[in-house]
Amino acid sequence: MSRREQSPGSDTLGRALSRNLLIGIALCYLVLFLVLPLLAVFTQALAKGLVAFSTALRDVDALAAMRMTLTVAAISVPLNTLFGTAAAWLVAKYEFRGKGFLLTLIDLPFAVSPVISGLIFVLVFGARGWLGPWLGEHGYKVIFALPGMVLATTFITFPFIARELIPLMQAQGRDDEEAALSLGASGWRTFWMVTLPNVRWGMLYGILLCNARAMGEFGAVSVVSGHIRGETNTLPLHVEILYNEYNFVGAFATASLLALLALLTLGLKSLLERRHPELRGARAEPGKARLAH
Amino acid sequence: MSIRIEQVSKLYQGVPVVNDVTIEIQTGEFFVLLGPSGSGKSTLLRSLAGLTNIDHGRISLHGRDVTELPARRRGVGMVFQHYALFRHMTVAQNIEFALRIRRVGAAQRRRRRVELLQLVALEGYDERYPSQLSGGQQQRVAVARALAHEPAVLLLDEPFGALDAKIRVELRETVRAVQRRIGMTTILVTHDQEEAFALADRLGVMQMGRLLETGTPEQLYRYPATRFVARFLGAANLFLGEVSRQGLHLGAATLAPERAAGVTPAGSEAVLVVRPEDIEVAADATELGAHNFASGTVEALTFAGHQQHVSVRLDELSRIEPATANAASAQRVTVDALRSAAEQMAVPLQPGARVTLGVRRVHALPTPISSFNLMTCSDNEAAQLERSPLLAQLVSSMQARVIRRGEQLEAGICVLPLDELAPTAIAAAVEHGARRVLCIPAGAGVPQRMLVHAGEAVRRADLLALVSSVMRHLPIEATAVTLQHPQASRSEVVETQRTLLDTRAELRGSHGLDLRSDRFLGDLPAWLGSVVAQPETALLVLGMNPTRDLAARLNSEMPMLFRSGGHVDLLLAFGRAA
Repeated sequence: MSRREQSPGSDTLGRALSRNLLIGIALCYLVLFLVLPLLAVFTQALAKGLVAFSTALRDVDALAAMRMTLTVAAISVPLNTLFGTAAAWLVAKYEFRGKGFLLTLIDLPFAVSPVISGLIFVLVFGARGWLGPWLGEHGYKVIFALPGMVLATTFITFPFIARELIPLMQAQGRDDEEAALSLGASGWRTFWMVTLPNVRWGMLYGILLCNARAMGEFGAVSVVSGHIRGETNTLPLHVEILYNEYNFVGAFATASLLALLALLTLGLKSLLERRHPELRGARAEPGKARLAH
Repeated sequence: MSIRIEQVSKLYQGVPVVNDVTIEIQTGEFFVLLGPSGSGKSTLLRSLAGLTNIDHGRISLHGRDVTELPARRRGVGMVFQHYALFRHMTVAQNIEFALRIRRVGAAQRRRRRVELLQLVALEGYDERYPSQLSGGQQQRVAVARALAHEPAVLLLDEPFGALDAKIRVELRETVRAVQRRIGMTTILVTHDQEEAFALADRLGVMQMGRLLETGTPEQLYRYPATRFVARFLGAANLFLGEVSRQGLHLGAATLAPERAAGVTPAGSEAVLVVRPEDIEVAADATELGAHNFASGTVEALTFAGHQQHVSVRLDELSRIEPATANAASAQRVTVDALRSAAEQMAVPLQPGARVTLGVRRVHALPTPISSFNLMTCSDNEAAQLERSPLLAQLVSSMQARVIRRGEQLEAGICVLPLDELAPTAIAAAVEHGARRVLCIPAGAGVPQRMLVHAGEAVRRADLLALVSSVMRHLPIEATAVTLQHPQASRSEVVETQRTLLDTRAELRGSHGLDLRSDRFLGDLPAWLGSVVAQPETALLVLGMNPTRDLAARLNSEMPMLFRSGGHVDLLLAFGRAA
């Protein structure tokens, strides 16, 4: 910066050079960390031909892992949509004591290592945990079973929807809701007819990201699942097991499924962003949105 | 009565943002609430709509008490500054929203929608989305939407604030025409004086949560009661003048008052309002058509289209004293005049020219608080008084002079430090003709409440004029207190009650203000003792008779006040000496 200010004459060439250099560096990074690994996943998956690829995917355990992943996501994503919307509504539309603390709590899952999050659930619900023995006596199994995996996934993906909605709702203020109330709508109706439609694209965006993470989560789920093949295995866990067994085609075929999911999410996300530019703003500059409010 | 707001107060963190506001609005009236930002006008409007709950008071719409009703059951139409249209709905869906909520049939909804779109001149815009409309069009849709369910009243919260100047005037006319056509009782909130004048049948000016004055635009412009309203509604020169039997004296001029000066008795100081357009500028006294009151030098001329602003610095010999604070300008008094094109042609002016000033019209504010005289023994004491938050707030818009004890007393409120020597000082001031004495203890904070006790034979009108003036300058809760003997007979109790109600009614009738009322069981010393015992700072307003043995009486009847430890300010109003 300061050098450019000192020598304004030589800047056209210098600027063009530095711009190309920066673009070059960014491209190298992209190729190295994104394109090559993606290529590797698909080439490895197809290394022994399409037949081997499809056989690996039609394996009983692989199908069970797929089912498990879908089940976990199907429970935890709606839960987080509910919790996230409620939390965002509370934070954006009301003033109360401890609001800052609540905001910090919402961000907590981002700050804590997923493995630690998993361990927390083991400590609470595990066989020797605080609630585990009591639950066990009553016939409920949480750890090394579906409930534990749903809990861990829900915890990890909690911030996605709330964080998406809070700046959006704050930027929109309370005017619309107050207008609806003064026109005679009840609180519930106001929510369905005014608040929800106002944030629906933001919510969809949040759900998309939340779902991608819920399906791809490894650390926390790995701790609470117990890796029981055909029972508590999700796709990411299945990839690890196959890889450890040197079944590269199987591992990479499964991994390619996850990679496809990621690509699909990205595609939908950028489509949403193009259609609704306010989402990009809300996400990139939450501070600004809050100020405007 | 269409809307009745009775003693409505709203506290925000203990501070009143709406302070004992009472208004009655007639059916079909267009009422404008005008005030600077933070004056509490929007809060008051929102509390009418039920969007903000209130801490005290009652609100009724068309005779129905709605104080406890939630917003959706109040049946009001509300228009917001930023339109608040539902973005995902078309114009038609927006307008029909209230009817859909009320389960009105589709055919009837359509009929009403067509009618409303016609009313706001937006026929054919049914299927557009708000994002496809201009700001002015959006606000017209918002007005139509607010009217759809035929509300009892229409409330508009700075509806033109987000629009540019030309559209603002256009939309203003639309709203006025719509309001006239359907005869809807309407309240509009704005900080724009011009807008208020253009729309209002009647307007109320708010400041610091208090409704200072209400009246027609013309009444308030010509006969304001407060410095704030005089200067908020158009420009005004404020001077200290004198009232005598002949009329109002301003410098060399004597004018007959247009209205009886009311509470300002002959022989006392008054605050005079002179509008810039009521000042005539001439080169020479013989050319003046109006009463000559001063002469000076033209300081600046400003072009303002069809008019010209002239700023004239007065000669010291004119002996005109400004009523506004600003010690620096005490030596250099300037007068603002506004001249029409014809006047500019007749008397062309250049900066630096010597001119004579005439005044066509003067209005005396009906306030007994014209200026303050700080009576002190030392500069140190004077500085301490000036630093007190109570006085600082009062003199922020008024003139305060420092006078040594024993010097000639001037008109205005006498200010003394409240200490053990105060009774003697008060008695001395009263002896020299002071009728109102404000005593401030060293280190007192901002008073949190004002307690008024009429006490002895002071005319109630005089006391209320003083009280209302103080109320209009301080954002604190005011309470009128009567004392009642613990074993009072039934008729005495009724009498006390009546006195309180009469006091409130009179304050409302003659000043448009409202206060709380309270009864204390016990005598004066007991009450004063209880006031002093409270930890919060209070301003005590007492009426007294100026008897000969005043110092001794003060010492014997209310010694606790002079040894209170500094959290009770005392304002004494004396009746005329018998």
